[in-house]
Amino acid sequence: MNFDFTQHEQKLFKEINDIMLEMAGEKYLEEKDPVNAGKTVREALIRLANSSYLKLGIVKDEEIPGLCVMMGAMEIVSSFSQSLYLSIEMSTRLFGRIISTFGNEEQKKKWLSPVLCGKKLGAVALSEKTMNIDNDQMETTGVRESALIKISGAKNYVINGPVADFTAVAGIMENKPALFIFEKGSIGLIPGEHLVTMGYDGLFISGLTLDECRINESDVIGPFEDKSAFDTLRMWENQIIIGGSLGMMKASFESAKIFAKTHKTGGKPIIAYQEVAFKLAEMLTLFQTSQLFAYRAAWAADAKSRESDILTYCAKVFCTEAAETVSGSALRILSGEGYISGNAAERAYRCAKYGQIAGTSTEIARVKIGNAALGA
Amino acid sequence: MDFDFTKEQLMFKQELIRFAKKEIVPRVQEHDLKGEFDFESFKKLGEFGILGLHFPEELGGGGADVITTVLAGEALGEAGVDGGLTLAYGAHTFLCADTIFRHGTEAQKQKFIPKLSSGEWIGCMGLTEPDAGSDVASMTTTAEKKGDKYLLNGNKMFITNGPIADVAVVYAKTQPELQHAGISAFVVEKGTKGFSAGPPLIKMGVRTSHTSELIFQNCEIPEENLLGKEGEGFLMAMQTVEWDRSALLAPFVGSATYLLKKCAQYAKGRVQFGRPIGQFQATKHKLAEIRIFGEAARSLVYRIAWCKDQGRPLNHLEAAVAKLYVGDWSMAPTFDAVLIHGGYGYCHEYDVERIFRDSRLAPIGGGTSDIQKMIISKLM
Repeated sequence: MNFDFTQHEQKLFKEINDIMLEMAGEKYLEEKDPVNAGKTVREALIRLANSSYLKLGIVKDEEIPGLCVMMGAMEIVSSFSQSLYLSIEMSTRLFGRIISTFGNEEQKKKWLSPVLCGKKLGAVALSEKTMNIDNDQMETTGVRESALIKISGAKNYVINGPVADFTAVAGIMENKPALFIFEKGSIGLIPGEHLVTMGYDGLFISGLTLDECRINESDVIGPFEDKSAFDTLRMWENQIIIGGSLGMMKASFESAKIFAKTHKTGGKPIIAYQEVAFKLAEMLTLFQTSQLFAYRAAWAADAKSRESDILTYCAKVFCTEAAETVSGSALRILSGEGYISGNAAERAYRCAKYGQIAGTSTEIARVKIGNAALGA
Repeated sequence: MDFDFTKEQLMFKQELIRFAKKEIVPRVQEHDLKGEFDFESFKKLGEFGILGLHFPEELGGGGADVITTVLAGEALGEAGVDGGLTLAYGAHTFLCADTIFRHGTEAQKQKFIPKLSSGEWIGCMGLTEPDAGSDVASMTTTAEKKGDKYLLNGNKMFITNGPIADVAVVYAKTQPELQHAGISAFVVEKGTKGFSAGPPLIKMGVRTSHTSELIFQNCEIPEENLLGKEGEGFLMAMQTVEWDRSALLAPFVGSATYLLKKCAQYAKGRVQFGRPIGQFQATKHKLAEIRIFGEAARSLVYRIAWCKDQGRPLNHLEAAVAKLYVGDWSMAPTFDAVLIHGGYGYCHEYDVERIFRDSRLAPIGGGTSDIQKMIISKLM
């Protein structure tokens, strides 16, 4: 056992923190204006590419630490801006990992390298109208048409959808799961309108219509023999959500703690009142427990433990629900100040709900954990 | 980071689970119903080497590291050993014997540790008083030096193993005016004149552990029974917190695994509306909650153990976080377990009822959840 990060790993955390701190000092990272937000994401990608952040979990190299460190690093970026974080993660940890894991050398050269350099932005289109790929057959389909593949269908809730340079679209080809890779501007690839959501103010989310889009066969990954590749994608998505939840908790907790120590009522800082101090203690307990849970699930995934999937589901349920509880408690401590838009806790509270819905929803995750207990 | 156990540790755990299931668990329900301490099981724990697992072999111990020692607690919980026996073991080994081992003279160690390790003697710790719980400094038990003896006067309350202990580590004020700094620790042996124990208290849970008052009336303690130096008692008591937040919490982690297996087994066999209740999503969700608690608690507990193995001073914030989480969150899974079992869960025959009662101690014993919140909020 070892519960410490190494000095090398801590140095990486500091590098990432410094990059984000510098960016946060220069501009508001949750910019709602799509043009400015797009610039911010691309700038963050370029800056983070100077560290090994974008390579974590993707590049297998002695110099690149494993998934525990990835989780710790995710927490840092998410604590600065949940929108920026999710945009970056969908590009790297989801799109990048797809290419890295399932792509051939040519595909890696074409799509992965620019993403890892921070020069291009990726997106992954998984969900369809039912939002659930576990129970329902996907309707997006690729059909051979001489040397090309013709894809038709519609995707919902695609993060980075309108602005991505590359988009991996999940669908069915020859009755098997496959991923179709599109470049921005492909004919027939029609991004929907920017969706206004409860949280993630600075994130591009839209639907995506594929109206007889044609791509070369070399732009297809798969078809896969079974849907395990898509299950893997869901697990990666869950990891992203877990890391994001840690960041939300960190930001909310710190915001509430500082406020409790500096805001006075009745002549003393409000942390001197047990109702506030105890709330902070509960928040910290949930936060620290979530951290360890996330690290352990990531470690299990790295170690290819047979418990890995279940631990990830457990961590996903725990961390996403803890994020809502912690940010909600922070709002109660922050009182009126927390209710004002833009406060870290207010933002986290709105974003936290997404974590429980996206990836494997907490309800479905619980069913899967229950099934494992039953040996089903 | 690395969350893995060694092969040896895992083998030891499995061996202990097998042993406990065979030698201890069959008597648990009977003893719980009668509210009796299971001397036979305790003795068997000693024979297996659990009671002195982390002590050096020359003192009758097993020379184990802290993680292995904590793993033993988890294994007992996972096997289905009741909270009463694991509490008795914790009070005996970590609160009594370990304090003597850490702070005793060579003579004291030689005299007490081998017999405590084997289970020949049973130990307890007397710290809490009727009017002094978490507020240790307000204790009123005094130890007055009279020549080569100390004269102990006062009462201790809620003492696990109190009525059955052969050896007690007792805290008393040698210099009351110094508050914490005036507290000293003594080893008091059964049969010492002026020392008696009250009758076992009837408790909601952990009923196989005997808990009582300890009464000291002009109790004469030879000065060689002072542990360490005068005034060091408070620090000694605080040092037990390391064990309290690891080894004593570990059975709750194991118990979650036990509950999960029990509930899954029941849910697969219990048919309602034409199908096993395990097929209903609501039941699966309850099973998930039990699993999630166990996994969350596990890392918190082993973090404390690992730090102790590294020789690091206790991080009181992390320790309090572990205690608060396990204390407060361990109750809900036991409630879920009772609900899954329905009417049967309310009956003693199905041991989820006992585990539900046993778990109520978690947010109280060893520092209440509110005390943990006080500690955390002061340290943050």
